[in-house]
Amino acid sequence: MPMEYIRAETLTDAVALLTGAGEDTRVLAGGQSLLPLINLGLAQPEALIDIGRIPQLRGVRTDDGEIVIGATTRHADVLGSAVVGDRLPLVTDALRHVGNTRVRNAGTIGGSMAHADPHGEIPLALAVLEARCEIHSDRGTRMVHTADFTRGYYTSDLAEDEILTALHVPVPARGTGWGFHEYARRAGDFAIVAAATTMRVTDGAAADVRIGLAGVADRPMRPAELESALHGARPAEFDRIVSDFDPISRSVDDPFVGPGYVSHLARVLITRALRDAWTTTNQEIR
Amino acid sequence: MNDVTTSVTVNGRRVSAQAPGHYSLLRWLREKVQAYEVKAGCGEGVCGACTVRIDGAPMASCCLLAAQADGCEIVTSVGLLDPDGSLGALQRSFWESAATQCGFCTQGMLMTAADLVAADPPPSRTEIREALHGNLCRCTGYQPIVDAVENAIACRKEAQVS
Repeated sequence: MPMEYIRAETLTDAVALLTGAGEDTRVLAGGQSLLPLINLGLAQPEALIDIGRIPQLRGVRTDDGEIVIGATTRHADVLGSAVVGDRLPLVTDALRHVGNTRVRNAGTIGGSMAHADPHGEIPLALAVLEARCEIHSDRGTRMVHTADFTRGYYTSDLAEDEILTALHVPVPARGTGWGFHEYARRAGDFAIVAAATTMRVTDGAAADVRIGLAGVADRPMRPAELESALHGARPAEFDRIVSDFDPISRSVDDPFVGPGYVSHLARVLITRALRDAWTTTNQEIR
Repeated sequence: MNDVTTSVTVNGRRVSAQAPGHYSLLRWLREKVQAYEVKAGCGEGVCGACTVRIDGAPMASCCLLAAQADGCEIVTSVGLLDPDGSLGALQRSFWESAATQCGFCTQGMLMTAADLVAADPPPSRTEIREALHGNLCRCTGYQPIVDAVENAIACRKEAQVS
């Protein structure tokens, strides 16, 4: 199918090209989600606006308690970033599970976020870290919390004329532990379920526990009740507390895995992630 | 619809060709540059048959538009040959380990493997397996391929010492 390709050299260009273009014009970053969809005939845009060469959208910087990751920063470059490895190890661990070497070399952080795959590692990790998404359009700039950015199955909060330009990730306090576990049937495949956690330890017990799950709902899920139930818990109690948890509120049926199996996986992976988080608390250097 | 001009180097040779904007790099390489060593597999970035190195990094040529690679340096398995046209060290290692049977996955395997052979420090067998998990082979059972990469890395280390 014919498709027009336009490379935007600047963000201003990209915004101008997108304004009024309509839903058949799509933004192209690394292409690792969009191009497979096009190849399989699942998406048929009329035009692609390539934002992959816009310098200001790429790179990692620190800014007032946040790490700001440009939307077109490639997975491999975030994995190689010393400041991300040091201060956002949950992101580094999540990235190791993304696709394969090729996907990580070409795919971008912002692309993963905008694609809003409910099984995706990046939206999950950023939901747990409570990152904010910076969005540009002809109407100006706005910031959206990740919890409001992912709106459902492959659906983000981006309007047709908007571009995700950066992710602002609050830096967790020193000594915060983290854990990331997922299960997929084949190496490199999409996870059936993925679990991410962060935790602090105060007075020998878990505090500020955050848990995120991918694959159990149409977007990353933060089980608030379970997070509170784990406050003050010790590792010996993790199993029992998590065993009462049933995450299933699946809005989309999966023909391969039933809800019981998904719930079981969620409990197993959360427990593993919690144990990792416990052992990595107060560990300053990996 | 606008045709897009893409200019790249392929295995050291400068190439420039026009193609419709929707041409994948894979299709462009095969149709415009006759780089038939690059194979079309799944079209989803999963099987690895179309892997090429772009500015040194292995990527799926089926999941990139040719236009996205404009200005880049592309290496295919032909670029691994010795200057006299005989098999390069990594290709010889595949040959010696019987790491290729039908041959369809081989060029993609070689391009991912080339990245591993170049890596410093040299990867362990576990790391080699991890890195190759994105390249599917339906013939060999993978062990000979991992052996071939390991042997190529060992040969490179020996060459560096001597």
